[in-house]
Formats: sequence, C-alpha cells, structure tokens
Amino acid sequence: MLKSSQWFGIGALIALALGRALPDASMAWVDTFLGRPGDAWLLLAVGLLGYWLWLSRPSLVSFSSQSQSHTPAAEPQRLLAARLLATHLSLEQAIDLKLLEVVADTEGSATSIIQEVRTLYDSSHKLVTYLDSSGLRGSTMEDDISECVVFLLELGKFVRQLPDKMKRDMASVQSVVQEINDLNELVSSVQAIAMQSHLLAINAAIEGSHAGPSGAAFRVVAAEMRILASNSSDVASRINSGLARARNVVGNTMADSMSESSEQLQTVSAAGDSILRLQENFEDMRQFYKIRFSVITKYNEDLLQEIAEVLGHIQYQDVVSQCIQRIRAATAQRNAFFENAVQQDSQDPAELAQLPTGLQQILDKFLSEEERHLHSARHVDDTGSDQKIELF
Amino acid sequence: MIVDDSTTMLMSLRNSLEIASFSVLSASDGLIALGQLSSGPKPDLIITDINMPNMNGIEFIGKARALPGFRFIPILVLTTESQQSSRDEAKKLGATGWLVKPVGGADLIKVIKQVLPGA
Repeated sequence: MLKSSQWFGIGALIALALGRALPDASMAWVDTFLGRPGDAWLLLAVGLLGYWLWLSRPSLVSFSSQSQSHTPAAEPQRLLAARLLATHLSLEQAIDLKLLEVVADTEGSATSIIQEVRTLYDSSHKLVTYLDSSGLRGSTMEDDISECVVFLLELGKFVRQLPDKMKRDMASVQSVVQEINDLNELVSSVQAIAMQSHLLAINAAIEGSHAGPSGAAFRVVAAEMRILASNSSDVASRINSGLARARNVVGNTMADSMSESSEQLQTVSAAGDSILRLQENFEDMRQFYKIRFSVITKYNEDLLQEIAEVLGHIQYQDVVSQCIQRIRAATAQRNAFFENAVQQDSQDPAELAQLPTGLQQILDKFLSEEERHLHSARHVDDTGSDQKIELF
Repeated sequence: MIVDDSTTMLMSLRNSLEIASFSVLSASDGLIALGQLSSGPKPDLIITDINMPNMNGIEFIGKARALPGFRFIPILVLTTESQQSSRDEAKKLGATGWLVKPVGGADLIKVIKQVLPGA
C-alpha cells in the first residue's frame, strides 16, 4: 500500500508530464493568470513535489545517516547473506565439534563406569564365593559339632543314670555280703561235722584197741576218719578265712564308695547340666551366625542385581549418542539447504516461495525419525502395557 | 553374540551376560558378525542392533537366517527404535524378539532365559 507522501510524489510527476505534453490545455486560465503557457502544470508539479519532500523527510534523514555510517546493511544483500551464512556455518561447525566431543566424553565415561562396576561386581562375587565356601565349611563343622553334641548328650544321659546304677550295684554287693554271711553258717556246720567225725574216729580207735587184733581194721578206719576230719576242719578254716577277707574287702570298698559317691554324684550331675548348656549355646550360636550369613548373602545378591541394573542404565549413553547423531544429521541437512539457497541467489518469486517448503520437509523428516526412536519413558501405550520388550 | 557399533553397548551387554555366566562374542556391525558366524563358533543366541554401518541389523538378520544351521538360533533385536513397522519387518525376516534400549540386566537375562530354556 502506497503512503500519502508517495501519492503526492507520483502526482507531482504526472503534473510535470502533463505540463510538458499539454501546455495549452485545460489549465489555460491559470496560464492567463500567470502570463506564460504551461507554467500552471509546472507550478502544480513543483507544489506537489515540495509537499512530497516535506512528508518524506523522516525516511530521507534516515537514509542520509545510513549512507554516512557504512554499516553491513549498506552492503549488497547477496554479500550480506553470504557472510551471515558463513558465520552461521562456522557456529554450526563449532557446535557440531562440541557435540562430537560430548558423545566421545560420555562414551569414555560410560566405559569407565562399566569397568568400575565390573570391578565392583568381581569383588562382590569374590565375597559371595568366600561366603559360600565358608558356608560349606561351616556346614561341615556344624555336622561334626552336632555329632559331638549327640555323643556328649549320650554321655550326659549315662552320667545322669550313673548314681542309680551305683545304688543298684551297691545293693547287689550287699546281697553278695549277705550270701557270704550265709556261707559262714555253712562253714560252721562243716567245722562241727569235722569235730564230730574226729570224736567218732577217736572212739572208733579206742574200741578197735579193745577188740585186739580183730579191731585192726577199725583202727585203720578210725585213723582215716581223723585225717578226714582234720582235713575238713582245715578246709573249713580256710574257707572261713577267705570269706572273712572277702567280706572285709567288699565292706571296705562299699564304705569307700559310699563316702566318695556323694561328691562324685554332684560332679556327675554338674557335668550333665554343662553338656545341656553347651548344646543350647551351640544351637544359639549356630542360629546367630546362620541369620547373619543369610543377611550378608541377601545384601550381596541385592548388590549384584543393582550392578546388573546399572549396566543396563549405562545404555542410555548410546541412546543419547544416537539422538545427537540424528540431530547432527538434521542440522547438516538444514545447513546444506541454506547454503544452496544462498548460492543460487534466486530472485524468482516462485523459487523463493518454495524455500519454506524445503525447510519444512527437513523438519518433517527429523520429526518422523524421532517418532521412530521414542524415548523409553514414553514406551507405555494407552493400555498401560510395556512395549519395551516384545517376543514374537 | 552381541552385534552393535556402540562401545558402550558392547561393554554393557558383555558384562551383563558374563555376570550371568554366559560366554560372549561381539561384532561392531552386521558384516563383521556375518563373517564370524560363517567361520567361527556357532553362538546359542544373537543380540543385534538395527542402526549400524556397513550392514544394518535388518539385513544382518535376513542373511544370518540364510546361513546353514542358523534357522532356529534365537535372534533378539536391541535398538533405540520402537516403531511397529520396523518390528514387523524384523519379525518377517526371522527375529525372535524386539527390545528397546535401554534394557536392565535382570530384564535382559529374563528374556534370554525365555528364548533359551535351560540357559
């Protein structure tokens, strides 16, 4: 749309042209008034031109100041666009280099993290292996201790039963002593029989002597009976002595046993209680270490799982790296597009009108490519199912 | 076998799998992987990226499946891409599954045990 000042300028030019072409036309009355033909058109043209200059004075002042400062705006548009493009490409190149540097740095960091995490895993794995080994050794030791405890329990049971057994033995010994006493009576009977036999032998010897030669046989029998009675008496005496010694030995032993038994029984009872406490303490200790072993093992398993997850999260470096590569590709296409447009320097309005379309195509392609690489956080569809993993 | 052009991915996956007691082969693109499959030991499982230089993952899957003895070897795709059309293409060429990066160690092992019973 033309401004009013421009209309006045155009009008001045038309008036000037009409004045030269139609000097004696419809403006003759003005010529008559001014005294010269054609001066009317000239006067109108001058008037309109002056008014145009007065309306256009702001832009004329601006134009004048720009001409005097020699800024880039004064340069030809093509050169200006070329300089802008060169600066833009330099900036893009610097950004591109930085992006590559970032990708390399993150990759370096990621590989370092992986190595460190692997070292952590190896240490943790060694600990688990050590714990497993310790567990096996502990299990073997536990079995050994259990066997020992069973043995000790049997021993304790025997020891606890010992007092009763001793009492029973003591009663048996007393029965033996009673039997010995009973034998003593028998020995006394034997001794009495021996005495009677001796008296009979003496009587028989006396009667045999009274009988003369015919009593010789009685004298022989009497002599043999005396020998027999004597022997019986000796045997009975020896038996009596042996029984007395046996009674003394058993009696003394019983007395000693009875005197020692009370202390021994107390010791035996204390030993049995100690074995029971030992078993209970061992069971407590076993449970204590079993629980701690389980806790440590669980923590270590959790640690291993976390390490595995960390290794998974490090994959984000590749995701980001690929994203940067796609951005670099789109940027390169955009730069090539601008470079081509500046080089062609087309003045054709139709070609110029196609420029936004070309840029839009680059944008559409970039968005389409990004659509194919949706970020994992958005991989949950409307139904809520996870689309990150799909088995065909 | 892991096929990926990213050092980070190769190291991350190698360590995750070694921790789970797997032995790992690796290649930085489809072409190198194909060469290894042709001449080297036969892996029980292949995990491949899609966007790689020289030979991309899709082409690699097709050519690996054509190799003798690789018809039933599980091939998992592990990529940043998530578009259904790409998944369909990989499935058509014989891929066993599709995983979008990043995948945690536990999830990865779970999937591997699903496609490799007894592993």
